[in-house]
Amino acid sequence: MNIALRLAWRNLWRQPRRTWLTTGAMVFSNIILAFMVSLQFGMYDMMIDNTLAVFTSHVQIQAPGYKDEKKIRQSIPAAQSLAETVRDNLDELRVATRGIAFALASSEERSFGIQVVGIEPDHEPEVSSLPGLIKEGFYLAELESNEVIIGQVLARNLKVGLGDELTLLGSGRDGSFAAGIVTVRGIFDSGMPDIDRSYVQMPLKTFQDIFAMGDQAHEIVIRTPDLEKAADIKAKVRALLPAGSELVVYDWDELQPSLKQAIQADMASAWFMYGVLIILVAFSVLNTVLMSVLERTREFGIVMSLGLTPGRLGRLVFLETALMGALGFLIGTALGAALIVWVGENGFSYPGMDEMAERFNMPARIYPQLELMPLVLGPLIVFASTLVAALYPALRLHWLQPVQAMRAA
Amino acid sequence: MRVIGIVSRLAWRNLWRNHRRTVIMIAAVSVGIWAMMFMTALMRGMVNEMVRDSVKSLPGHVQIHHLDYRDDPNVINSIPEPSGELLDVLNSDAVVGWTSRVRVPAVVSSERESRSLTFIGVDPDSERNISFVAADIVEGRFLEDRADSGIIIGRKLADTLDTGLGKRIVIMTQDPENEIADRGFRVVGIFDSSLQSLEESFAFTGIATAQELLKIGDEVHEIAVTGTDFRKAEALYDLIAAAAGPSVSTLPWYELDSYLGTMLTVMDGFVLVWILVIFLALSFGLVNTLVMAVFERVREIGLMLALGMKPGVILGQVIAESLMLLLIGLLIGNLLAWATVEPLSGGIDVSIVAQGMEMFGASAILYPELERNDVIMANLIVIVLGVFASLSPAWRASRYQPIEAITKV
Amino acid sequence: MYRSMKLASAFRALNGLIFLLALLSVPAASAVDSGASDSGAIDPRELVKKAIDHWRGVSSTGEMTMIIHRPDWERSMSMQSWTQGSKRSLVRVTAPQKDRGNGTLMVDNSMWNYSPKVNRVIKVPSSMMGQSWMGSDFSNKDVSRSDDIVDQYTHRLLETSEMDGKQVYLIESIPLEEAAVVWGREVLRIREDLILLEQSYFDQDGELVKKLEALEIGQMGGRVIVTRQRMTKIDEPQEWTEMQVKSMNYDVAVDDNMFTLANLRNPRN
Repeated sequence: MNIALRLAWRNLWRQPRRTWLTTGAMVFSNIILAFMVSLQFGMYDMMIDNTLAVFTSHVQIQAPGYKDEKKIRQSIPAAQSLAETVRDNLDELRVATRGIAFALASSEERSFGIQVVGIEPDHEPEVSSLPGLIKEGFYLAELESNEVIIGQVLARNLKVGLGDELTLLGSGRDGSFAAGIVTVRGIFDSGMPDIDRSYVQMPLKTFQDIFAMGDQAHEIVIRTPDLEKAADIKAKVRALLPAGSELVVYDWDELQPSLKQAIQADMASAWFMYGVLIILVAFSVLNTVLMSVLERTREFGIVMSLGLTPGRLGRLVFLETALMGALGFLIGTALGAALIVWVGENGFSYPGMDEMAERFNMPARIYPQLELMPLVLGPLIVFASTLVAALYPALRLHWLQPVQAMRAA
Repeated sequence: MRVIGIVSRLAWRNLWRNHRRTVIMIAAVSVGIWAMMFMTALMRGMVNEMVRDSVKSLPGHVQIHHLDYRDDPNVINSIPEPSGELLDVLNSDAVVGWTSRVRVPAVVSSERESRSLTFIGVDPDSERNISFVAADIVEGRFLEDRADSGIIIGRKLADTLDTGLGKRIVIMTQDPENEIADRGFRVVGIFDSSLQSLEESFAFTGIATAQELLKIGDEVHEIAVTGTDFRKAEALYDLIAAAAGPSVSTLPWYELDSYLGTMLTVMDGFVLVWILVIFLALSFGLVNTLVMAVFERVREIGLMLALGMKPGVILGQVIAESLMLLLIGLLIGNLLAWATVEPLSGGIDVSIVAQGMEMFGASAILYPELERNDVIMANLIVIVLGVFASLSPAWRASRYQPIEAITKV
Repeated sequence: MYRSMKLASAFRALNGLIFLLALLSVPAASAVDSGASDSGAIDPRELVKKAIDHWRGVSSTGEMTMIIHRPDWERSMSMQSWTQGSKRSLVRVTAPQKDRGNGTLMVDNSMWNYSPKVNRVIKVPSSMMGQSWMGSDFSNKDVSRSDDIVDQYTHRLLETSEMDGKQVYLIESIPLEEAAVVWGREVLRIREDLILLEQSYFDQDGELVKKLEALEIGQMGGRVIVTRQRMTKIDEPQEWTEMQVKSMNYDVAVDDNMFTLANLRNPRN
């Protein structure tokens, strides 16, 4: 093998410019692929995480039917203690309980229909990014106080500010009047007008009082530090449900199917583009190998007439290409990694990214991370395709007739 | 002149001396061009469709509202019908079409269900040219005149309400005095839209009917204006904003839907980058091919130089080879692109990821669009940069010393 | 997301009382002549109108109980009511304790609600009016627009029959073209002494959707009226809402001031 390896290597360098140019094509594509794929994977993760971070989170426990019908009676009994059970048993998770209802919010001047959500001030900031979006005043602090936080647009429409009172009227779980007076403790700006216009949070106990919920709630929201494990967590949480319970556990894909699809659509188009790059590189390699084989026809003829079998000759050519491919792979991946690290320090953004980022709840600058799989995925495929490209010329050698070969000019 | 003729013939014959290599290179260029254009066509098509949909559903390139309307789309935030200077501008040539609308939130009920939606009173004649509804009617008819008291709803809403053509549904909303305003309407038409959310959120009737129901005299809530091209909306916006004055809010479509506005710019940049990347990947192979071609013919070139051919002509010849190769590749690539885009212009169905596409704001059917500017840009870049890339080997060829070249082994 | 659909379904509490108010104008019997001429040619519209007028009287005060029944729970509420003419009603909840003191005032077609818990009077906006009331099977429409049955429909006598020696008229009421009514048609069974025995609601395909039935008839405040009636959704027979009249006085003097916002907030009785 050694001789073959050395021969192959030396053959490569008989035509340094050609070898470098072909390797250059590979390196170029590899850098692009390594960078783009890493960027993409990082972005997807962030997109998912950030979109989910606002409300949905990774896993939820709900009463059956609630997801589609959203009826106040479809609630989880003894919700907070169930949440505590999950917390105790799976302590890498962050768990929060929520009650949700619809009500009329009135100020002195106007009334609007809104969604009221009862939350646990201790736990909600661990599962949702909304508490961090308070622009004026403060987030909720006590489990049982008559305070609320409202969106900026709602505050404007109702013409209220911090410290002003709002009346909430709705109907409770048992159909009774639900009424309460609350004070505005904080105003948030999520950047999403739909939310800013119609969403109000209050402490869970207050919510349960006003809406006659007893100890019930509608969502137990669970966040995991590792997105990949969501399905796993779902199974574990399900195991913790009380025996015979009808409660359902959903993962984020079931709660927000459009998110996964958006990613799939994006991924499909990205891979189309990568595919084209890879094919072009393969063409380049094919060209080079073909040329290098053809120009050595005489030499091959001689060598074969001296006893080298076509098989081994073929393998030699193949090895040359493999070495070249490995070179391209290593250099390309290394440079790609360097690029990722450099961009990771300085952040990546392009004009117009802000608005797109807002839509998907992402920061305006991305800091790609270096991870093995996304890094080498593209380059590996390039390597594989160069090997495939090398097959044709290598196989042709099988049919080489030594005498004719030697006669070639 | 004769020189050019000779050079061309020589270049052409040289190309085909090693036809396998040339064919592969041409194939690579073709695939590259095809990929450039196909991908671009897809992306362009998607974004253009998105913008067109948005412009038809907003509707318009520019809109005018009451100053408070966007925050609080309430019936009291109305504006008078255009008059005076504004009316003049609207009737001028800069404006292709304009329409006024009544637009308020309302609740629609059928025998079994109710939903909230946006209730819109339109003037069918002017609305027809501007918004999507008239064109998307799938059952029944569009409205006939301003006073038409029928109602048009979307297919999805009709299904949700369990109602249909010819049945009555009840619209309930309020007038400026906060009194209930409600009325029964017969469904005279049902529309379909590529974006399902549109089907659920809008109901249309004649503007006079709406004004009467709401007791707002001849006030309206929205004036929508279209110009010739959504890309030229800024000029139109300036014109209209000046004429409308500071008492109302005038906005162009890309601010009404800022996400789309940036998508458009981002797409332009993206197309350029994509073309460049492909070209670079191709260029490695291109240069390689030329270098090889020159290298093989060192003795020949030396001979020609010794016989008196000017180095400049050698340069020209190499460039001519490159140019021909590129041109053939371009021709085939362009043809391929046209051949694949044309049949698909009926739309590519990606409804598997329909919900994800809606998250991007795009519909579930992609219509590739080959835009003239993109085609020109792609071809130009390949030719210009291609020739540029071939300068180096061409230059080196012309620099050969005849004696050395002839005696080269 | 949750938002848009549910804005339409938020405001049930208020609407419950509206139902009550509507009920107060639903026809009930009286000893007064039913409007039939001797030859038996009934004017259906007149009959319906009279039935409504009959139950409301010129004015009334009364006590009622409402029971909401579902497969897995049941809830009951007691209330006091005052009416004057066909356009004014006031209702106050007396039991259970949790809801005590809540009140609803209706004047013309506007509705205000008062809750002692928040000590505020709020006018109900249109977006909240389209709801089922208090989780019951009565919608706002049934309740707040009781008079509509007379003017917003055309009426036709279908048939006349006899029950316990009394004539019973079957009347079909079809909403006017532009009426704010979702029903295809309604069918009323009215007895000659102006008791509404049954009111059926049909969708526009002719399918029966819900039905109000008189279960008990008795004497109250000098009149024969329906003392117990039930609204049922045909698709869900295990879900119904029942109204029971505990006491009723007719044509008593009711002060105009009763029907003001001030009184809604601060009852003087």
